[in-house]
Amino acid sequence: MGFFDSILLGFQVILDPGNLLFCGIGVVLGTMIGVLPGIGPTTTMAILLPVTFRTTPTESIIMLTGIFYGAMYGGSTTSILVNLPGEAASVVTCIDGYQMARKGRAGPALGIAAWGSFIAGTSAVIGLMFVTQPLAQFALRFGPPEYFAIMCIGLVAVTYLAQRSVLKAIMMAFVGILIGAVGVDMMHGTQRFTFGIDELLDGVGIFPILMGLFGISEVLENLEQNLGSSQIYQAHVKNLWPSLEDWARAKWSIVRGTILGFIVGLIPGGGVTLSSFISYAVEKKVSKHPEEFGKGAIEGVAGPESANNACTGGCMIPLLSLGVPTNVTMAILFSAFIIHGIAPGPFFIKAHPDIFWGLIASMWVGNVLLVVLNLPLIGLWVQFLKIPYRILFPIILLFCLIGAYTSSNASFDLILMAVFGVLGYLMKKFGYEAAPLVLAVVLGPIMEANFRQSLVMSQGSFIIFFSRPISGITFGIAALLLISTIVPFVKRRYKKYQEFKD
Amino acid sequence: MAYDRWTSLFWLALSVGACVKSVFLGIGAPNKPGPGLVPFGASVGLGILSAGLFIQAMIKKGEAREESLFTGKNWRRILFTILAIVIYAKILPLMGYLVTTFFLMLFVFWLAETKKWYWILFSSLAITGASHLVFAVWLKCQLPRGILSF
Repeated sequence: MGFFDSILLGFQVILDPGNLLFCGIGVVLGTMIGVLPGIGPTTTMAILLPVTFRTTPTESIIMLTGIFYGAMYGGSTTSILVNLPGEAASVVTCIDGYQMARKGRAGPALGIAAWGSFIAGTSAVIGLMFVTQPLAQFALRFGPPEYFAIMCIGLVAVTYLAQRSVLKAIMMAFVGILIGAVGVDMMHGTQRFTFGIDELLDGVGIFPILMGLFGISEVLENLEQNLGSSQIYQAHVKNLWPSLEDWARAKWSIVRGTILGFIVGLIPGGGVTLSSFISYAVEKKVSKHPEEFGKGAIEGVAGPESANNACTGGCMIPLLSLGVPTNVTMAILFSAFIIHGIAPGPFFIKAHPDIFWGLIASMWVGNVLLVVLNLPLIGLWVQFLKIPYRILFPIILLFCLIGAYTSSNASFDLILMAVFGVLGYLMKKFGYEAAPLVLAVVLGPIMEANFRQSLVMSQGSFIIFFSRPISGITFGIAALLLISTIVPFVKRRYKKYQEFKD
Repeated sequence: MAYDRWTSLFWLALSVGACVKSVFLGIGAPNKPGPGLVPFGASVGLGILSAGLFIQAMIKKGEAREESLFTGKNWRRILFTILAIVIYAKILPLMGYLVTTFFLMLFVFWLAETKKWYWILFSSLAITGASHLVFAVWLKCQLPRGILSF
């Protein structure tokens, strides 16, 4: 199929009323949860995953992806207007966005965030279109050792980029591998860690884990506090179209943010939050007026907002071409593919061109919808902040319960969800992150299969992981990442020891 | 963190348990890896890092503040919510989705300190009904009907 035929196929798919409806639902929900603090795109995707059981694979993937990039648009609105980031990727937008709003320039800040997001989002889709196919072709050369190496670097990178303790993040990855090992071993048929519970023979379902660690734990954490409504911005927002001067200042920030966000998305472990933080740092570094940052510099809004939107396109490439989710959000999308019996990876585009090109076209249509929805309806989105948590939390709780139950039609999964909910809540309290654990649960069984196949291939020689160029280089990078984490720690301890000795 | 020494001990105990269980499962040989090989590796890794975290926490014992993470928090609400989920899981197959969910919603709205009883009743009915329409009728999910057959 030629390039233009593929594009036409994509638009044919997205213009199907059902697909268009789910694209609309996805971006509207995404914007809404982007606005609402206390619930992020990852949680929403996890909670709504069971909704996709009865929909077609194309509708499911289009809706979940819409939630992901829609949240990036919505997050900027409350960051700018009320200094309240709806999701983590918009934290950095608060710094200059809110200062602009305080100076009466909320309109241009919202305008540049929306247009920057649109430019970056659509550019990333072009990148996704051109990079995925060649990478999938290249991935045909991969065998079990290469896949094992890529998954290892994915896990190492997620722990390396942990927001809290790297040590705890690695520990959580090991716990995730152990949870992923529960059930019947595929190679020997032996029961592992089932403790005589029949429901565990198929392993611990990913849905109770996702609902528990993200949905329930977030509900429990919010229940600690007062459940009243938030104070909301009352002023009227004017001049949403940025001035020529604003455009002149922001244009290169948007370009840099787009490129940077796209590249960060490609890196294992890279995510939307990281991309926006790096972009902000870069903008401050290259700016001729770094002193204006933190006081309402438009570049500080344009760069990060472009970066997090470009990142959404970038991080889909490893998933679609290699079949490797590089962050927890992609792990949820990976689960959505698996539910429908579709294996993302080198054969995905060839086997399901309608889903791939439909997804590409949906991201274009979705980005257009988001600009149309976001700019004129800003007043409406801000009103969502009025919804008190006492109304929201029973709904979130119910979605989690339905999600966990319908995944297997067994009430045992509800108990499992409660267990993971408590675990997730305690993990938050004690400074452990859920992302490495979830990624390890998803990747663990695939990693294990590839690891054992590699050993069988090499007749027990571990050299196979280092003698093949792709896996050797990948392991080299993973080792460097680990060493770069350990060395500063050892240096700090040694310095303390020296001080103590003196 | 002040609690690291306790949490590290928990993970250490878990890793020891998983390690022993993995050995019983059979680690195998490099050319014929057994079902316990990967869990063994993961539990050893977890054990070493937990021990490291424990040592780190003991060294920093004096520096860390010992304030409770639960002081001033509404932990009763958390406890009741978890209990409600467990009871819901037990009753759901027997009483069916509509009845069980309605009572759960009544309870959580009450828990959320919603003042007016008619608002609690209306919200619970509306959410239960709407969720049934979306999931059971529109998306055709198999929600349990229970002994009352609805």
